[in-house]
Amino acid sequence: MTAESHSAAPATTFRPRPGLVARFWRWEASGILVALIALVVVLSLSTDNFLSSYNMSVVARQAAFVGLVALGQTLVLLVGGIDLSVGAAAGLSAIVGSLLLTMFGVHPYLVIPLTMAFGLMLGLINGAFIAGLRLNPFIVTLATWEIFAGMTLVITKGYPIRPLGETFAVFGKGEILGVPVPVVIFLAAGIILIWMLTQTRLGRNIFAVGGNRDAAVLAGIRVKYVELTAFALAGMFAALAGILFASRMDAGQPSVGEGWLMGAITAAILGGTSLRGGQGSIVGTMLGALLLAVLANGTVLLNVSGFWQRVIVGCVVLIAVLVDLFRRRD
Amino acid sequence: MNHFAFEARSVSRSFGVVQALKDVSIGIRPGEIHALIGENGAGKSTLMNIFCGKLQPSEGELFRNGAKVSFHAPIDAQRAGVAITPQEVNLVPNLSVAENIMLGAHLTRGIAIDWRATRKAAIDHLHTVDDTIDPRVPVSTLSKAHQQLVQIARAAATDAKILIFDEPTAALTYRETEKLYAYLNAFRAAGGSAFYISHRLDEILDLSDRISVLRDGRFVGELDPSQASKDDMVRMMAGRLVGKGNAAPRLMPDGAETVLKVSSLTRRGEFENVSFELRKGEILGVSGLVGSGRTEVAKCIFGLTRSDAGDIELYGRPSGIGAPADAIRQGLVYLPEERKQEGIFPLLSIAENMALPNLGRFRGIARMRSGEMFAEVQRLVSDLKIKIGHPRDRITSLSGGNQQKVIIGRWLMKNSRILIMDEPTRGIDVAAKFEIQRQLRMLTESTGLSIIFISSELEEVLDVSDRILVMHEGKVKGIFPAGEATQESLLQAAMS
Repeated sequence: MTAESHSAAPATTFRPRPGLVARFWRWEASGILVALIALVVVLSLSTDNFLSSYNMSVVARQAAFVGLVALGQTLVLLVGGIDLSVGAAAGLSAIVGSLLLTMFGVHPYLVIPLTMAFGLMLGLINGAFIAGLRLNPFIVTLATWEIFAGMTLVITKGYPIRPLGETFAVFGKGEILGVPVPVVIFLAAGIILIWMLTQTRLGRNIFAVGGNRDAAVLAGIRVKYVELTAFALAGMFAALAGILFASRMDAGQPSVGEGWLMGAITAAILGGTSLRGGQGSIVGTMLGALLLAVLANGTVLLNVSGFWQRVIVGCVVLIAVLVDLFRRRD
Repeated sequence: MNHFAFEARSVSRSFGVVQALKDVSIGIRPGEIHALIGENGAGKSTLMNIFCGKLQPSEGELFRNGAKVSFHAPIDAQRAGVAITPQEVNLVPNLSVAENIMLGAHLTRGIAIDWRATRKAAIDHLHTVDDTIDPRVPVSTLSKAHQQLVQIARAAATDAKILIFDEPTAALTYRETEKLYAYLNAFRAAGGSAFYISHRLDEILDLSDRISVLRDGRFVGELDPSQASKDDMVRMMAGRLVGKGNAAPRLMPDGAETVLKVSSLTRRGEFENVSFELRKGEILGVSGLVGSGRTEVAKCIFGLTRSDAGDIELYGRPSGIGAPADAIRQGLVYLPEERKQEGIFPLLSIAENMALPNLGRFRGIARMRSGEMFAEVQRLVSDLKIKIGHPRDRITSLSGGNQQKVIIGRWLMKNSRILIMDEPTRGIDVAAKFEIQRQLRMLTESTGLSIIFISSELEEVLDVSDRILVMHEGKVKGIFPAGEATQESLLQAAMS
């Protein structure tokens, strides 16, 4: 069928595009943006130092580590999977990176890409089982979570690897134009992923696979390759977060990555990513990570007991889910 | 003789011990619409899945323009110019119409997608089928019929020269079917070849150049649509004579009890001012286009949605239905259009599927009185002539027609008095369809059951109903005794 003969303007006029407000409200990350703005306004009015540049960089840095892990998790959630091993992969990668630096004397600038490659490999292991053998992602990554975490302890025997040296500390502690390096990397990674998801075939295929796997297969999409890529990238981003955190601490600690799994999933869900796959956005996840960091920071500034923090985060997630429910009923 | 555009030679396929296809050879010429008919389980879908690369043959070979090809995945078939529109709509709900059409085939400039070109190509392909669908909206907001048209545009967008249509009109009504015909005729005129599977025999006689018949996984013969009659087709498919379901239309005596009375029922944006009566033992057919409001009225009566105005009386009293549970308690049941999604519990057994809403009846002191339950299931299985292996087998082991009967049995066990059936025979083969129609007629006579029978197939509505209600754009266009109505008169009523 040749298309040229039909290239005239549509014969029918469709319903006009909805207004700006309606479109904003329909956007899955709208709720989180409103919540974040509200929270920032409240905190800047009720505390003296929330908006100080020092505090801002603390918050942003905190968001960056979990945020990087959450970016990878978002890709996995988009293809309809879940990766429980990201925190452990971050920990193991941080240790391997630290060893590369201290034991093998690899140049500090090379350590970051090598560690990312290692994380990519961990993700490929997950992906091989899940995409290749069609095993359940929850079960596979539950197993690899244990394996990665266990390997970390086997290698370190529970002791941190330190010091990592002045040159390497730049990645965790340094600043570019006053912005912490991890934050710059987080933003850059986010922008690249936004571009990837909206402007490349791989990105669109990620949405297609998660939205309807059968349709994607029929459309000739290499579904297994798409799934494998998502898991591999999740491992890579986890490794990046892990090694940056080690740089920040000047130590490869066996505990790196503990608690990042829940933070990463929470950030993605707050940002409107569906656990059923096919729906979500990178911007949403980035805002979700930021919201979690602001919440944590706010409780400290307001002198709320740290123990309450988790209760508050849980409530925020429930509220986010409810808001999403009402928006969908519309 | 060998100028087939695409050909299968001696193709067999088995699933475990089940032989789904045995030594089937079939070919299609350029510019031909080749219809494929057969009862459910005859192997049509298996064959088509082999053609489109979803399944691989256990034995036999495929040829494209005389050259041997082997498809390991759908992409291989697409590269060879073979594409399918599957029976079930298979699109990505959250993506736009345009993106679904170009799924996996975005046009790129370098590594980035060229969105302008991609959208334009999508719209061009969409317009070969339909120009009333907005390409920008997510597919999930479209009606089933429109989704089906998008699916067809998707197949068109692969630029395939061999298109496979597996029950394309099952979700379509007259207007959309016309569009499909127009598209198919243009496709054929341009030299394209189409395999066409349908249970609607009229459609096949109208459309196809050649008819092949499959039975029990074997090729049993070919028919010429210009010579063959529907009876010929049915006989060849079934391998025996099949009696039709249409007994003479009955006239309800004026004195018959009214079990359901709907007065001026309105739900804004869906339907308005709908009034009708349903009598005891009557089958009221409801005919109309998709989007005519027929399903919406049914859901409203059943308590799934609320009306804005109007009254519903059950057995002469205001119904007071606020939720489906109220309706079921009063003996009024809705059998939904999407049997797989809304009707059956695929992981449960036949017996459990039938007994589920009735489990309270078999409650013992500490455990289920399962003996009684199985006895009751057995009774209904034999009453309804459901073909099953064992009641403990999964319901998914049954054919569509038998699954539907299990659901009917479910509600008979519950002593329901009014069934609202929405497209109950969609995707069910001809023999099973007649069988269900006959069962429904018998049930209404023997038990006084009343049925509202919603269907897009005029012929079926005419066959099974006592009276026919025609809906169009949310309004009732008339109620006709089945004996006086014809396909033409119903169509005219709908369009007037």
